[in-house]
This record gives sequence, C-alpha cells and structure tokens, in this order.
Amino acid sequence: MDLVQQLLYMLQGISTTLLISIFSFLLGLTIGLPLAFIRTYERGFAVFVDAFEKVFRGIPELVLMLLFYRGVGLFLAFPFGDAFFTATFVLGLRSAANQSQIFKGAIRGVGEEQMVAARSLGLSRLQSILRVMIPQVFIFSTPGLGSEYALLVKDSSYAFVIGVPVIMEQADRIRKATYDPVIPYIVAAILYILLTFPLATWLDTWGSRKKKQLGL
Amino acid sequence: MSFLAENLPLIVDGFILTIEVTLFGIFAGLGLGTILAIGDIYGGKIVSTFIRFYVEFFRGSPIIVQLFISVYVIPAMFQTLIDPIIAGFLVFALNSAAYQKGYIKGAMQAVFEDQMQAGLSVGMSKPQTIVYVILPQALRIVIPAWSNEFCSLTKSTAALSILGIRDLTSAFQSIAIRSFRVLEAWIMCAILYLIWITIMTKIFDIVYEKKKIPGIEISV
Repeated sequence: MDLVQQLLYMLQGISTTLLISIFSFLLGLTIGLPLAFIRTYERGFAVFVDAFEKVFRGIPELVLMLLFYRGVGLFLAFPFGDAFFTATFVLGLRSAANQSQIFKGAIRGVGEEQMVAARSLGLSRLQSILRVMIPQVFIFSTPGLGSEYALLVKDSSYAFVIGVPVIMEQADRIRKATYDPVIPYIVAAILYILLTFPLATWLDTWGSRKKKQLGL
Repeated sequence: MSFLAENLPLIVDGFILTIEVTLFGIFAGLGLGTILAIGDIYGGKIVSTFIRFYVEFFRGSPIIVQLFISVYVIPAMFQTLIDPIIAGFLVFALNSAAYQKGYIKGAMQAVFEDQMQAGLSVGMSKPQTIVYVILPQALRIVIPAWSNEFCSLTKSTAALSILGIRDLTSAFQSIAIRSFRVLEAWIMCAILYLIWITIMTKIFDIVYEKKKIPGIEISV
C-alpha cells in the first residue's frame, strides 16, 4: 500500500467520521429539542422522557451498536443491516438523550418570565416556544452543544467494531496492510483531536459573546 | 433464559472486571486529577501548559485510540511488551484524570478564590490552605459531576472488549456467538449495564444529598 493510497484511506475515514457525527447530531437535535420542551411544559410526559434519557445514557454506545447491528439487524435487515445507518441511528438517539438534558438546562436558564411575558402579549404557547424561547435557548446551550458534537466525533470511533470506515477503522486497515503499528494510530489520534478541538472552543466563545451582547 | 444460567460464571467474571477497571479508573483519576487541578491553578505557566497538552490529548481523542496506542504503539516504539489488562487500567485512570481535573479545577476556582486569602490571613501556608480548606469543600461540590464521569467511564470500559480483554461486553460477545441467541444476549448485556449505572447514580445522589454544602450549588 503506497502513501497516496494510505492518504485516500484516511480521507475516506475523515469524511465518514464527519458524516456520522453531523447526521447523528442533527438526529439528536430534532428529537432532543422537542423532548426538552415536552418535559418542561407537559409534566405528564416527564416520566417517559426521563426513561428515554436513562436508557440511552446508561448503556455503552458499543453495546448499543452491537445490539442493533448484530441483534436487531438479524430480524430487520433493512435498515439495521447497514452498519453506517446503525451507527448513526444509535449515536443519534444517544445524542437526543444528551441534548434533551442540555436544552432542559437552557430552558431553565432563559427563565419562566420570558414564557409568561410572551403569553401575556397574546402569543399562543407554540408561538411563544418557537418565536421567543427557542432563539434564546440556542444561545444558552451553545457550550453544551459544542461539547456534545465533540463527544459524537469521539464516539463515532466505536463504529469501528461494526466495520464502518471511520478514522479508527481506516487506521487499523493501514496497520494491517503496512505492518506499521505506530504511525497510523498516531495519525488517527491527531485527526480526532483536530476534528474535536476547534469547533467546541469556537462555539463556546461565540456563545458567551452572544450572551453578553444580548445582556442575558 | 437457560443460556444465561449456563454462562453465569463468564458473565460474573466479566462484570467483576468491568467494575474493577471502573473503580480503579475513577479513584486513581480522582487522585491524579486533583494533583493536576492544583498544578494547573498554582503551578505556574510551564506546568499548566504541560497539563493543557495532557488534557487536550486525553479529552480530544477517543478511548479506543488511546487503548490502541498503549497496546500497539508504545510497545513498538520502546520494544517492550505491555499486558493489555495493565494498559487498560492505566489508560482509564489517565483518561479519567483529564476529565476530573476540569471538574475539580472548576469547583476550586468558582467558589474559593476568597477562601485562599482567608486561609493565608489566619497564618496557614498555601499548601495547608489547599489541603485543609479548599479541597474538602471542592470535593463535596464536585460529586454530581463525578457521578456523570462515573457513568461515562463505565460505558467506555466496553471498549476493552476490542482488545480481547474479558470484560462484561466481551463475555456477551462470546455468549452471542456460542448460543446463536444474538439479540437476547445483547439485550441482556445492555440491561446489566443499565442496572449497574442506575444503581450507582442513585448512590451518588444519596451521597451528594448527605454531603452537599447548603447554599452552594454550582454546575461544573
């Protein structure tokens, strides 16, 4: 395996890692944000949301991937026979549980008064959530979302066990082909650090600047 | 369920190893993390730059990469052999220390800036103030963050199974292969982790309720 080929392998690893992280982040967002509001404003559903969070935060990602890919995939070859889909699905649900917690904290941070003020102006509950609460909730939750994204980039490496060509899997393939145990893993470590570091810090500073700007 | 009863010894052994690694990681990580936090706050520029690199490596890269580096890269570079189990114990301790340093530093800084002054003004030395005044309070405040760290550490120990170390996940891996009841085996495995983590979280909650400092609540 020559150097160009190794480089192409790593590039594929980077793009797969990014795709899994971004898709599962978006899946987590679309499930997590509504869950946080349901949990806050519909007390009756709180039990279910809590149970969902407990389950997906209390089981190792690795076990969940094996459970869905090897176990459920046996009976439902579509869609769980596909390793990439399964990894994204599992990380997305795990992320939904985390993001629901992040947004719950942010909703509390924004404060009940904002909701009351919006309602008193005649907005409906849905309108006040969409127009008043959500824009502020996002600013409050940027640091949390940044570290959640970094966590997803790191946890996508677990998809290695079901053979998804993430950075870790590609490093392993290169090691097997070149018999060099040092460089591939060091490169993998550096790539992961580069992929997690900048965005998380940038979101963190952006969030605090925005918060100061708006006087929150 | 009979396939579980047959494999009970395997499951118990795996469970014990998972618990051992987690407990070792969390306590060794606490000790090292506390030292790192103190070093970062009071150690001067060079020390804290070094600590930053350490933390950035262990928090920025996945646990699988760290395990593979300790089992493949380091032995190849220094022409030695490292027992994967020992490597596993060490990696989890070092990894957890990097996270715990952050929590402990946050707790020490957020509340106790003025307590340092107070300690010095009554004639205590700097180390004395850290050990007798600041740390006992910081460690009480940090319990909720510690509980989260315990959960994520437990979950990441599942990665040991990739190295062929016989932890809980790897026990169920072989059960799934041998019994052909793949789905049941993995569901059982997931439930065991869930029960263990739920119980431990409850215990942490109880300890925090008992030990928390009234009036001081920060999220680190």
